Order: sequence, then C-alpha cells, then structure tokens
Amino acid sequence: MFFHIVMERNMQLHPRHFGRNLRENIVSKLMKDVEGTCSGRHGFVVAITGIENIGKGLIRDGTGFVTFPVKYQCVVFRPFKGEILEAVVTMVNKMGFFAEAGPVQIFVSNHLIPDDMEFQSGDMPNYTTSDGSVKIQKDSEVRLKIIGTRVDATEIFCIGTIKDDFLGVINDPATA
Amino acid sequence: MSIEPFNRLVKLTARAFYDDITTKGDNQPKTSRSDNRGIAVVVLDALTRRQWVREEDLAKDLKLHSKQLRRTLRFFEEEKLVTRDHRRETAKGAKIFSAAVAATADGHHTKEGEEKIKLHTHSYCCLDYAQIYDVVRYRLHRMKKKLKDELEDKNTVQEYICPNCGKRYTALDALRLISMEDEYFHCESCNGELVAESDKLAAQEGGDGDDNARRRRREKLKDMLQKMEVQLKPLMDQLNRVKDLPVPEFGSLQAWEARASAAARSNGDSNGNDPSKSSQGLGYGGTPMPFLGDTKVEVAFSGAEGNGENIKSETENTSLKVLPPWMIKQGMNLTQEQRGEVKQEAKMDGSSAAVEFSDDKKSTIESDDQKNIQDEYVKAYYAALLKKQQELEEAAKKQEELSNPNISNGLSGMSSGRQVGMKSKRDEDEGDDDVDWEEAPVAGNSNEHYKVDLNVEADAEADAVAEDDDDVDWEEG
Ligand SMILES: [Zn+2]
Repeated sequence: MFFHIVMERNMQLHPRHFGRNLRENIVSKLMKDVEGTCSGRHGFVVAITGIENIGKGLIRDGTGFVTFPVKYQCVVFRPFKGEILEAVVTMVNKMGFFAEAGPVQIFVSNHLIPDDMEFQSGDMPNYTTSDGSVKIQKDSEVRLKIIGTRVDATEIFCIGTIKDDFLGVINDPATA
Repeated sequence: MSIEPFNRLVKLTARAFYDDITTKGDNQPKTSRSDNRGIAVVVLDALTRRQWVREEDLAKDLKLHSKQLRRTLRFFEEEKLVTRDHRRETAKGAKIFSAAVAATADGHHTKEGEEKIKLHTHSYCCLDYAQIYDVVRYRLHRMKKKLKDELEDKNTVQEYICPNCGKRYTALDALRLISMEDEYFHCESCNGELVAESDKLAAQEGGDGDDNARRRRREKLKDMLQKMEVQLKPLMDQLNRVKDLPVPEFGSLQAWEARASAAARSNGDSNGNDPSKSSQGLGYGGTPMPFLGDTKVEVAFSGAEGNGENIKSETENTSLKVLPPWMIKQGMNLTQEQRGEVKQEAKMDGSSAAVEFSDDKKSTIESDDQKNIQDEYVKAYYAALLKKQQELEEAAKKQEELSNPNISNGLSGMSSGRQVGMKSKRDEDEGDDDVDWEEAPVAGNSNEHYKVDLNVEADAEADAVAEDDDDVDWEEG
C-alpha cells in the first residue's frame, strides 16, 4: 500500500556545499540518500515530493560538518499481509516462484499455486495447467495476495498466494 | 413487491446468528436476571411487522425498557441490519409520524390537536432489507471461506525441513535458500536439499503426536464445515429464493412519511367501494401498519392476511397461488387454498396457537370520515348478526331432536342468506373464515391479546424449518 507521509532526517553536509545553493544541495543529497531505501516501519521510500522545512544547522565539533534537521514529504510503499498486489515473475523453480512488485520481492511456494498447475522444467521452467491455457513463467504478470511479510530493519520480504478467487496470471508475455 | 420472503430471511437470520446475543451495559453484573438472550430475535421479528417505527413505541409494544431496546437496536445498527434515524422534533412533529402510521392503517387523518413547542429527540428504526441480504450473504461467505482456507492450509506459511540436520525454515527464508545450481532450496548449514513439510507429513503417515493433533484439527474443521452446511441450509435456501426478488425499500424516514401521508390523502378521497380499501379499515384486530408502496397499484392483496397477525402492510400478504380478494365474489366456488390457504395455516396454528397478536394498541382510531363510520357500522352489524346466528344455530341444534323444524328452518334459511354475504365480505377482509370466528374483528373492538412465548416461537421456527415450506406462515409475536 502506498502512503504519503512526512518524515524527518538529520542531514550531514560537508562545508564545501555551503553557499547560496545550500538548500538545493541539501535536497539533492536527501533524495540521493533516502529514495529507494527501505525501513521496516515505513516501507520503501518511493519518492520525495516536497520539503516541509529545514531547521537550523548545527556545526559538529572538529569536523566542520553541519547537521540540518530536514522534514520532508514522501511517498512510501509498504506491503501488508492480506494485500493484493500485481507483480512480475522473476524466477520459477520447483519450490514455487519469485516475483517482484516494484522494490518488493515475493515468494509463492508451490502449495499456494492452484493444484491444477504443474511444474514443467526445462529452459523456461513454468507452472502450467493441464490444458495449457494458463502458464506462469519468467516475466509473467500475476496478481497475488500477500499472506506473510518478513520485516527487517532494512528489508521487507513477502510470501504470497495465487490460490484464491481472481488471483493468478493477468498478463502472459508469451501470448502478448 | 413482496416482503414476506425477506421477512422470513430476517427471521432465519435472527435465529441463526443472534439467538444467543446479549446486549447489556458494561457496568451491569452478569446475573440471570439481566440475561436477555433472545431479545434480539424478538426485536427483529417485531421489526419485520413494521416499517419505520418510533423506538419508544416499539419498546412499549414489546414491553421492553427503552434503554434495553435502544442497546439492541444499536447493536443491530452496527450489524447493518437496521437503519436508524434520529431527529429533534416538537410534539407536533411526532404527531405527523403518528398520523402517517394511522393513515396507513385505515386512511384516516388523526386530529392534529394541541401542540407544544418543546423539542424532543426521537429515534426511529427500520429494517434495511437490501443491506440485510448483502450482510447475510457476506457473513456466510466469510464463514465458509475461513473454514475452507484453514482446511486447505491456504494461508499458512510453508515450512521446510533439512532432512540431514533437521533445521527448519519457512517460506519467508526463501530468498536465502535458493541455490544457483538447481531448482531446490538448500540448507544454510549443511547444504542439504530441503523438503517441504507437508510432503514429509504425507510421506510418513501416522507420525508423531504433532501430526496427530494436526489431523484431528483437520477432521474437526471438516466436521464444522459440514455442520455449517447442514444447519444453515434453510438460510441459504432462503437467500437463493430472495435473490431475484425486488428488495422492499422504504426509503428514508422523511420520504416514507411523505409517501404515507400522500397515500392517506388519496385514501380519504377515493375510498369508494373498493374492497381492498375497506378491508384496511377492518383490520382492527391487529397492528395498524404503516403504508407500504402505492395503494393504487396494489393488486396482489390476498387472504393470507388472516394468518394470525392480521395486519401487516397490505403488500406483505401477496401469496402467489391465492386469488386476490377482489376476485372472490359472492357465490364463487373456491377451495380454502384459493381463498387463502387456511388449511396450511391451521396446521401451523397448532404450534403457534398464541398467534392472536396485536402488539400495537393503535387500534382505537377515531374517524371523522363519514364513509368509514358507515363501514364500521355495517361491519359491526354483520358481526353482531353472525354471532346471533351462531347462537341461534346452536340453540337450533339442541332443539333439533325436540324438533320444531319450521322455526329452525326458517331461521337458518334466513340467516344463511345473510351468511353468504357475510362470508364473502369476511373473505375480502380477512380470508380467515374458519379460524377464530369469535374473534371477528368488530369495529372498535381492539383485541389486545399480546402473548410472547419464546418457546412457542421456537417450535414454530423448528416446524417451519423442518417443513421448509415457503408458504407456511409461522410468524408470531
Ligand atoms: Zn541441514
């Protein structure tokens, strides 16, 4: 799920960035530092959308670095148990398949793949229904439901299922 | 617009899900005295016989404390079965509602007498049939899904075991376990090939205590699912029956009142000879019910009305196989079923004997409508005549052996001529000519039998479920 939230961060800036571009420098450094990171609590930071305010800088003893408290708005992506996501399959093996929804990796184990789909090994390992009408292989797009998340401080990993109504392949690159 | 299947749905729902609900304040101790289980069912049942109703009135009718009723209603509001409306109104405003209620009962206007400018907050409530249908379906769906999911291990996290060192992993570790060489997961410590736990379970049947527990649990789940299917079957059947029917819609309180009073006006003007209308006036024995829908298009008004709760709104009484009362004419040769399935009712009446039910006391409605007074007079006259005739017949029977054939013949001949007229009249009115003659709703005679007997009700319910007969009307106070 996406959220638009306000976060705060202390930015340490080298004195060479001081000058009339100080503000721009802070913002660009913030974007470089924060976008694409993941925190267990808030999820993945997708994009910074605005700066709320930049507080007074504090000069560090000895180094000359200055710390600025920065409040910024950003879009974050945080997967939840029970959430339905659309994801792209990245790898298929006998144990199930892996898929990605943006920055999030999801594993769907074979017992959460519908029983009528069987694993076919080969160059392009895949799960296929007996009549061959539905096939899950690399680059397939699937809709899945998250049934569990592992949230570490800097990482979120999910397991999902496609064994439910309206889940499964939504777009097959082979037929497209 | 038939409301009966929906009412049945509500009743089944009440008994399936709300039979055991207690609603009480948090600070009340759990004593047997305050145990009000079953109230929920009673309240829901009462609501099926009403449309919008002022909660105070409902409380009075049910002989409940208004606080208790309000708690129950609030609960049902949360459960999305009931819509409520609150408004501050003057005594006059409250009268408008009463007028609407009265108007739908017999087409009279009540006098809008003295009015105080004191504002009171009044609450009204009404069943929300459309939402009830959805809520019940959703509830069943969730119940089934939850059990099935558990049964199929749908939402469980797959576990993996290393057969070499016995280390356990879950699917959440998957990312770390994939190996580049093959398509299996490998143990982090010994690089053994991991086995999915369920496979292992299937492989070694019997297993240890843990497995047994798991199997027992599965059996229990399966059992529960089966029981649910069986026990809730009547409810599901009823849902299917109701599926394609138009949902009764009362609209908001304001809209409903507006419609009711509009109908009252048209009733007052064109009361005419239309029997379906004069029959409205006859329903004194029961609860005067607010008007439902548009009277003018109402055709399928049938004799099923006499089934114990004499009056609900007229549209509720549409029963498919029954001839509408305006078609029943004097001298027609009809079966009881055609007149209004009295037989089936009689069968039910055994269990629901207490059905003579009129929990509204609004039956004393003064009329300033000349026509109506006449109607009532005629009715009273017929009723009195009928009573007399019965008495005479009885007397005649007794005297038959003693014999005075001339007199008794003459009497019965005369009165039977009357009776035909009377009977057809009553058919129009009640369709209830076998059951309780004596309780013929004479104008001004407000039957105030009010009997709530939960046991009887439960029996009726059981019977109804057992027979699963759509047409049987087992409803009661
Ligand atoms: Zn191992």
